[in-house]
Amino acid sequence: MNIKSTLKTLTEQIGVSGDEFPAANVAAELLREYAENVSVDAFGNVTGYVKSPNPDAKTLMLDAHIDEVGLIVTYAEEYGFLCVGSCGSPDIRTYLAQSVTVHGRKSIQGVISTLPPHVSKDNSAPEIGDIYVDIGMTREKAAEFVALGDRITINSRFRELCGGAISAPSIDDRSGVCAILAALDKLRGKELAYNLAICFSAQEETGERGAKQAAFRIQPDEALIVDVSFGRTPGSNPKETAPLGSGVMIGFSAALDKQMSNALRSLAESKNIPFTCEVMPTSTGTNADAISVSGSGTRCCTLSFPIRYMHTPVECVNLNDIESTARLICEYTAGGAQNAR
Amino acid sequence: MLDKLEEICQLNGGSGDEAQVRDFIAANIRADEVITDNLGNLLVFKKGKKTPKNKIMFAAHMDEVSFIITHIGDDGFLSFDAVGGVNPGVVLGKALRLENGALGVVGVKAIHQQSVEERKKIPDFSEMYLDIGASSREEAEKHVSLGDRAYFDTEFFGFGNGFIKGKAIDDRAGCLIMMEMINSEPEYDAWYAFTVQEEIGTRGAKAATFTIAPDIAIVLETTTACDIAGVSGAKMVCELGSGAVVSYMDRSTIYDRKLYALAVETAQKCGIPAQTKTLIAGGNDSGAIHVSCGGVRTCAISVPCRYLHSPSCVIKESDFYAVRALAEKMLSAVSEL
Repeated sequence: MNIKSTLKTLTEQIGVSGDEFPAANVAAELLREYAENVSVDAFGNVTGYVKSPNPDAKTLMLDAHIDEVGLIVTYAEEYGFLCVGSCGSPDIRTYLAQSVTVHGRKSIQGVISTLPPHVSKDNSAPEIGDIYVDIGMTREKAAEFVALGDRITINSRFRELCGGAISAPSIDDRSGVCAILAALDKLRGKELAYNLAICFSAQEETGERGAKQAAFRIQPDEALIVDVSFGRTPGSNPKETAPLGSGVMIGFSAALDKQMSNALRSLAESKNIPFTCEVMPTSTGTNADAISVSGSGTRCCTLSFPIRYMHTPVECVNLNDIESTARLICEYTAGGAQNAR
Repeated sequence: MLDKLEEICQLNGGSGDEAQVRDFIAANIRADEVITDNLGNLLVFKKGKKTPKNKIMFAAHMDEVSFIITHIGDDGFLSFDAVGGVNPGVVLGKALRLENGALGVVGVKAIHQQSVEERKKIPDFSEMYLDIGASSREEAEKHVSLGDRAYFDTEFFGFGNGFIKGKAIDDRAGCLIMMEMINSEPEYDAWYAFTVQEEIGTRGAKAATFTIAPDIAIVLETTTACDIAGVSGAKMVCELGSGAVVSYMDRSTIYDRKLYALAVETAQKCGIPAQTKTLIAGGNDSGAIHVSCGGVRTCAISVPCRYLHSPSCVIKESDFYAVRALAEKMLSAVSEL
């Protein structure tokens, strides 16, 4: 599997929280290469399974979320403008003068309005209620294409920067989906120490909702949650960020299983997989918070990698970090650490 | 028209770096005389069927707002500033293409890590940086040098009921109209000045006007329209779909009163939709042209444009045609003065 082309495919799909189906269906198709009983449920969660030959094997859930932040249509003004709300928490300061696609009955394009200097003289950032989507057609005409509740995404695209860096929309968390697929690819033909349950979950950005449903159904013994974390930029706090290219970030948190975190760290060390430790004191802000307390409880650890400009249309990731994450998932799943308690 | 406008808008031509646009125009016109002056203005003479008593000059500017790399950090991030008036808010979260082709993005700290104060404010250019993926100065320097230009990397498309979105429509729309006038069989002789450096103070027009020394000038431009949701009355300035904008005054020029009246009357007589501005705002090459030489009688005809100086300038196709039609009719009207 080629990580770059798979990431490109995944980031080109649309899957704003609560309407993940276009992205979920494509991710399910990719997952069918490696897993059995792949399905997309009514909420947009993708699940699939890989069996271990060992009858006593425990179940390990591999989770990454399929949804992305975006906008939702809340009202159509009479002459050509849509009012919007946020799905998740996009940084709308980065949305001014962006071109967009409204995913209605038929997709239409438009532009996010901005005020020229004669109307707006200061540098205050707009709030979601201040921005409109200019669609260039009256409410009456728009009704043929757009309904309230339709999703809107920014027209960004997959761009290759230098040094193995990629900029694209929805890198949060399609790159996590990509890392899991890359790990499954590496596991082909290997004996698994776990039964695997793979989940590309819906509605993480609106409160880890899809993962709650999927984890309850799967009832895993352990879970690895693959999500993005904060990449270093000029002026950022080095304690809260990791440089792009520094490898997989292994989570340590009160909400995570310390033995899993330790086992993953030892494994990364022994296999020479580039890694850093990401310490999140009380909770993780990822699906791990929901999965760990689902059903009768699940041992969880997060595997993250640093991205820059999270929740903007130009999120940036380093492909080597996705590779490092995939390698660590692969080693853990193959049982290289004798992880079990 | 859409294809041609896309082609000329997607060319990169920042102020002082207009060669791509100039070469494209020169290669796509059939004219009687073509001069590139020391500043890079393209001065074109097209013979018509008749020679008017007055020397007439049309003008449109080739340059667009752009960015210039001012510093390369040890960490590989680039500092930049705007060349021309750009609201920093329209640059955040956008991709820029460097003049040698490398791509970069203008990001911000993740929203999760911003303070309440940071979320409320659009940072200034001095606080932004361009990320080209380089992790050191040495790596960055393989792709960029100080003083290199960067441009919005954005798409051009038609949408809605005859609307068009793209970068640099200000003022490639005017350039395209002049090209089409040159390539038609005009009634009267005229000069056409494709100017440089409008966005940094109408600098090219000064030299162009001195060289041509016209009696009458007609500037073809785009002008701020703010007919958007949340804005009403005079602050809308002008409206998309209401035709060519004929200005009586803006911040750089009080237009020749008789030419203004002639343009309004010509539009009415010929059934061309036209409007004027409801606010004294903006400025264009007219500011330099009308005070050149011994004074040049000047008028401006503009395409109303939303979100000027952003990656998403928006105009309406029908207004483009109205400006073109009025420009053609005004050539005859002023020639007969």
